[in-house]
Amino acid sequence: MDRQLAIWLLIFGVGAITFTARLSFIALFARRRMPPLLAEALKHVPVAMLTAIVVPAVVFAPAGVLRLDPGNLKLIAAILAGAVAWWTKSAVATIVVGMGALWVLRYFLG
Amino acid sequence: MRAHFSRSGFLEGVRDIAPMMLGMVPFGMVCGVGAVAAGASPIAALAMSMIMFSGAAQIVATQMLVAGAPFGVILLSCLVVSLRLLMYSAAMAPYLRPLDHRWRNLLSFVLTDQAFARTIQRFRKSDDLRFNASYFLGSGAFTWVSWQLATVLGIAAGRIIPASWDLEFVVPLCFLAVLAPVLRDRVSVLVFVVATAAVIALDSMPLRLSMVCGGLLGIAAGMLGDKLRDERG
Repeated sequence: MDRQLAIWLLIFGVGAITFTARLSFIALFARRRMPPLLAEALKHVPVAMLTAIVVPAVVFAPAGVLRLDPGNLKLIAAILAGAVAWWTKSAVATIVVGMGALWVLRYFLG
Repeated sequence: MRAHFSRSGFLEGVRDIAPMMLGMVPFGMVCGVGAVAAGASPIAALAMSMIMFSGAAQIVATQMLVAGAPFGVILLSCLVVSLRLLMYSAAMAPYLRPLDHRWRNLLSFVLTDQAFARTIQRFRKSDDLRFNASYFLGSGAFTWVSWQLATVLGIAAGRIIPASWDLEFVVPLCFLAVLAPVLRDRVSVLVFVVATAAVIALDSMPLRLSMVCGGLLGIAAGMLGDKLRDERG
């Protein structure tokens, strides 16, 4: 297949997949009732999924190599930023502390 | 459409998501660079960001295209990395139910990790549907526009932000800013601990399936935790 044609087919194919995934349950439960057990489960989606996104980005440095020691500067920066987030609930403060800690630690230790 | 639009809600959504874009810009640029490297024309590279609108799916698609993977395998892989969107869709569904279908379709199109993280808490705290739907639209629309600008920058200029700055680290920090403040009750902490252990233990799974599986195990732990708490009274 011609490369350009393949790319355009992929764009619309994958676009249909991502949009369908996003719309799926929103469309499904627009008309019918959600089973109570599912509603119970969904309460935990934010904490569970945010954890599943954040943790690998912090503890694997580089990708695939688990680093739970203080030599992993991203881990130290994330712990400090997490504490700030817990106290202040501010996204800006969390970013400033997290990036600031990473850059300062790297300057002195990296 | 207009019946559900609140200008102040839209603007607050934009304002709250804006800091997150600092981390998304380098990621969007990488997607632009990757698409061009995979042989896409500049227009196709931009169309990829406009229509797929998912960094994870875009990177998987372009890398597999370069590797010469069969078309069906690429589609299937993109479906796997999009599974988490099903969970966001389900979690959002009860709140979007009263909206008309045009609003639901529009909001679905801009349902990203970022927009979900910022918006779901707001829907839980307040039942002002008009404000919340507009807040969601504001954060989603701003994310979409930023994603296109970042892609164009990547296509035109390449990776101009040095990797040593680690600006991508802003992305997990933004999610942390939403996550940490909700860890105030025992069940939430349990979900966090189980999801953390699971996502680390399952890291070797292909296509970042560890993310969805780790998340599901966290959810199961949370349901168990709820049950134990209720039984104890």
